[in-house]
Amino acid sequence: MKKKQLTVAHLQSRRFGVGMLTPTMIVLLVMTAYPLFFTVYYSFTDYNLLKQLRKPANFIALKNYTDLLKNEYFQQAIWNTVKFTVLAVVFEMLIGFGLALLVHSLTRGQKVMRTLLLLPYLLPTVTVALSWRMMLSPNYGIVNQVLQALHLPVYNWFSDIRTAFGMLVLIDVWQSAPFVFLLLYAALQSVPQSQYEAARIDGANAFKTLFYVTIPNIKNSLALCALLRTIDSFRLFDKVNLLTGGGPANSTATITQYLYNFGISSLNFGFGSAGAVIMTVLVLILSSFYIKRAMG
Amino acid sequence: MKKLLALTLAMLMVLSLGTAAFADEDPVKMTLILRDGTYADVIEECLPAFEEEHNVTCEVQRLSEDDLRTGIALDAINPVGTYDLCMVDGSWMAEYTENGVLANLTELGYELDDDIIPATTTICYVDDQLYLAPYYGNVTVLMYNKANVEAAGYKPEDIQSLEDILAICQKAQADGKKGFIYRGDTQNNLVVDFLPILLSYGGWVVDEDNKPTVDTDEFKAAMQFYLDLIATGDAEVKDDLIASVDTGAGTMGIGWPGWYTPTADSPADYIALSGAATADAEKYNSNVYGIWTIGVPANAPHPELAAQLVEYLMDPDVQKSTVPSGGVPCRYSSLQDEDVLAEYPQYEVVCAALESGMYRPVIAEWTEFFTTLGTEMDNIINGVKDIDTGLADAQAALEELMG
Repeated sequence: MKKKQLTVAHLQSRRFGVGMLTPTMIVLLVMTAYPLFFTVYYSFTDYNLLKQLRKPANFIALKNYTDLLKNEYFQQAIWNTVKFTVLAVVFEMLIGFGLALLVHSLTRGQKVMRTLLLLPYLLPTVTVALSWRMMLSPNYGIVNQVLQALHLPVYNWFSDIRTAFGMLVLIDVWQSAPFVFLLLYAALQSVPQSQYEAARIDGANAFKTLFYVTIPNIKNSLALCALLRTIDSFRLFDKVNLLTGGGPANSTATITQYLYNFGISSLNFGFGSAGAVIMTVLVLILSSFYIKRAMG
Repeated sequence: MKKLLALTLAMLMVLSLGTAAFADEDPVKMTLILRDGTYADVIEECLPAFEEEHNVTCEVQRLSEDDLRTGIALDAINPVGTYDLCMVDGSWMAEYTENGVLANLTELGYELDDDIIPATTTICYVDDQLYLAPYYGNVTVLMYNKANVEAAGYKPEDIQSLEDILAICQKAQADGKKGFIYRGDTQNNLVVDFLPILLSYGGWVVDEDNKPTVDTDEFKAAMQFYLDLIATGDAEVKDDLIASVDTGAGTMGIGWPGWYTPTADSPADYIALSGAATADAEKYNSNVYGIWTIGVPANAPHPELAAQLVEYLMDPDVQKSTVPSGGVPCRYSSLQDEDVLAEYPQYEVVCAALESGMYRPVIAEWTEFFTTLGTEMDNIINGVKDIDTGLADAQAALEELMG
């Protein structure tokens, strides 16, 4: 009798668990699994949004993948994306961490500083891009006016092959370093004060305290930040599309911009899907490296 | 008491249902998908009269060029679409009609009248069936700063060839200003900016069989000239280009009438390109159309009403009424009207340019075509490839594209 009661309770508990999981599973299946499946499926076809109104898409096996990987502009886009990701993540991590340490060390005004430093991250990317475009405008931009007043050389920042890529990195770092700051600032709050006191008693200087107390305590947060920023930087599109369109001479074309120009704009969704799959694989490889390090 | 209350409520319900039944029908909702800017402004200002006359309400979606093209295409796959009227760039015509995106306006009972400039209607028909109506007469013009041109010792009417343009821009550069401003921000803008120059050299991007012709002597000569010309100035986005020419920081650039409304006192103005590379060279049609046409999607929810809306918007009087707001009808009755010309003399230039303009190639692959060509031109302009290599690579890629 007792065993039967236990079985009923167990069944009810399982049913409750399944009931609670079902809505999430449905949302995941509809919003993630279904698009993912079709993206992979279309990547093996010549699916064109308009042409399929006349005739259905054909299965073309790996042609989209071989075309992409052979294409010199796609190769350049991969290189640009990797270069951008490395530079942006390194600078964002360094600046964000520096800011977090600085604000954490303040005895007064932490809240004000925290709010002010977060502002760039709160702005929509379109607003950020357009604001920077105005500031760096060769005609009425404040940056060139200041440089001219100081008798320094001026540039057409987004159209000059020497400066366009650097400007994109700068703008991304400006906008995203506050995100790193916020996460690391929160992590710093959790470092036990007793460890700092022990280090001080042992005569550790600031440098040693940083490397032997602070960083070991927040290493998981550092890895998480780097992971999130890497994934985000790898998907960079809006700033490039708004500010340079991938030019000049493809020097700022990222994978997403390439796919937009040669896949989505042309409505060749099969080709675009193949590129998206390649990009996902690259992000997964990078992410797994971080996750392994952080969890490992 | 309860019975009385119930009876009163029941009677009130019956009365309200009866009133609702006899009330005016709800207006039909029509949705228009348009190119943002003056193009949509002038349509929107004409809508209230149509709405009142036909008991409809019109909702307007204003989109950028890329979003407009994608928006129409995405909606085309639905059995019944969202949009009743769409604005279409002439260069999308082949792709749309080949894939049955647009409704046949002839079958819906609409035909173009003789007042419309004939050259602007060439892409509107497929096998004598009308699919689009040329609404906004955008055509490339040469925007210039009056003071800079004068400082170079020229009057606008003296600019007779590309040589003159280069001479003016080089003089401006020598005076510490920017000469020619070009739009290098997207492949499309780069190609469209260059096409009037290419036409002036007697070249074109495809032959009569739509085979790519970008690795030709004419193309190379035009490209070399373009490199010399843009070396006098800078690459800028549209708003910067207009501001540059308007303030005099820049001297010239290829523009569109919809961008700028010159007046007698304005610092900038525009002229049509002569179509000659040098003073002694042959003159070609070198004005490239960027005409915004209007049509009805094949899956429009209210096709008959939409055809009536097209007819209304294309009405000569309605079109003329848009001129003060920046409208550029493709109609003689508007562009040659004495009152219009007295106030907006630049319409004479626009009319001449529209009469002798060229549409971009009517090929379904145009988007991929200009992306490929623009990418190689961008490489040449930025010194990544020389002219011969860049154009040979472009030719090879385009031949593969066009099969």
